[in-house]
Amino acid sequence: MIRRNSFKAAGAACLLLFFLGLPLLGLTDYWIYTLTIGFYYALLAASWSLLVGYVGRISFAQAAMSGLGGYVSALSVIHFNLPVAGGLLLGILLAGLIGFAIGLLTLRLHGAYLGLTTIAFGEILRIAITAEHGVTEGSRGLQAPALIPGGTQLDYYYLFLAITVFSLLLMWLILRSRIGLFFQSIREDEDGAASLGVDVTLWKALAFACSSAFAGLAGGLYAHFVQLITPSMMSLQEMGFVLAMAVVGGFHNVLYAALGGVMLQSLLEALRAFGEWRLVIFGLLAILMLRFAPNGLFGMLADTLRKKGKSHG
Amino acid sequence: MAEQLAIGGLTKSFGGLVALDAIDLRIARGELVGLIGPNGSGKTTLLNIVSGYYAANDGQVRYEGRAILGWAPHQLARIGIGRSFQVTKVFRRLTLLENMLVSGLADWRESRAAATDRAMAILDDFKLTHLAHEPAANLSGGQAKLLEFARIMMLSPKLILLDEPFGGVHPELKSFMYDKVRAWNADNVTVILISHDMGSIFGLCRRVVTLSYGNIICDGTPEETRADKAVLEAYLGDQHAA
Repeated sequence: MIRRNSFKAAGAACLLLFFLGLPLLGLTDYWIYTLTIGFYYALLAASWSLLVGYVGRISFAQAAMSGLGGYVSALSVIHFNLPVAGGLLLGILLAGLIGFAIGLLTLRLHGAYLGLTTIAFGEILRIAITAEHGVTEGSRGLQAPALIPGGTQLDYYYLFLAITVFSLLLMWLILRSRIGLFFQSIREDEDGAASLGVDVTLWKALAFACSSAFAGLAGGLYAHFVQLITPSMMSLQEMGFVLAMAVVGGFHNVLYAALGGVMLQSLLEALRAFGEWRLVIFGLLAILMLRFAPNGLFGMLADTLRKKGKSHG
Repeated sequence: MAEQLAIGGLTKSFGGLVALDAIDLRIARGELVGLIGPNGSGKTTLLNIVSGYYAANDGQVRYEGRAILGWAPHQLARIGIGRSFQVTKVFRRLTLLENMLVSGLADWRESRAAATDRAMAILDDFKLTHLAHEPAANLSGGQAKLLEFARIMMLSPKLILLDEPFGGVHPELKSFMYDKVRAWNADNVTVILISHDMGSIFGLCRRVVTLSYGNIICDGTPEETRADKAVLEAYLGDQHAA
């Protein structure tokens, strides 16, 4: 058990060093920018896997929640003169609250019904923001104040990295606490969990809230980084990206899902020459992963490394 | 003996089908009651209402003096009502220890260390220690039933509802489970046992309640039940009873 934990800690430390050192390898601003967006997707994919991988509740409203966080933060900074950090906080709070409400409303829904309800909810939110263009500027896009006024691409890179690492750490702490155990017991069998004293209603709603709050944080960060957001960040196509990232990375583990986010975003840029075909490739990749490697690419990699470590030790 | 469970006028219908028809049943603390009846007689429905999974249409259920109708399953678990399920509901992707910890940690006053100690002691008692860190998916059907028993023990229950716990269990394991049921009962824990296995019912229980079409048609000792004409009719049909 100790060996396994030290294996995990060493892996996490290596990854952190890798991302800390990556910009020093002479990456262009374009790639630094791409990786920073990659961290946004990492956070979003991890927040989705928190809900789907651990609690077993499906949601297709994650991109919409991210957009909600982005718009709430940008609008509150613009109209209420809140500092950006205050706007972010408000975005997180509201996304969390609405997540809690969705969690409560969909308590008894499962499978396709739950999925369809969350799609409907996400679309309602996206269309409402598009329609209310007097406030949100609709499809023209809303200009959001900068997160770091006068900041360089590198400043943003390290800030996004720090917040992503912090968020993953927070998720990890939640998941290894008794709350994580309640989440997983609900995923395994709701009736069984309830029979052992787990308040299934409360934890299902809180899981939605928690996952949405992280998505809201991601969206807020994104808004104040790219500084121009449109409702397309809440589209089902964006949701499809997030889903593919989590599935390809491994959605049973928040870290693997996050790595999937950075990886697919980087691939998306690297394979620009393929145009729209990239989306077809990602879709196929996600399908193949679900069929042949349900633990995702990084889950598979970690298993292989662990087995090798065992056979050598 | 102090009354623990008092069910009065309990009625439940599913659409036009009356599953329980104004049932009255009183059970004292420390009783071991068998609940039998043909398929569809309302046994599991009764258990599901007492454990909070179904809402009743009418009537009342009092447990240790408290009216518990409308309570959620997790609230009932916390006041000492444990149950097993006809089809086991173990958490397959969690280890046996984690399965045990869920019920321990659901009570926020218990620390992880204390819950782990308790869980390991119970697993040891159930001869499952060597599997503590294995996922429950690796268990046989019988072992999964045993794990359900062990998990219930984590609740320190005062009333245990068992729904077909011996179905498909190897005879050797079954006799081990009999011993557990008897041990609980010796500790003054009330047990209500549903089983189609008459050997288990008549071997374990001193009181047998027979349901048919949502009504209690017999409530007596195993001998009385065996000799009861209404019970024979319910199980075998009119001609055989005659």
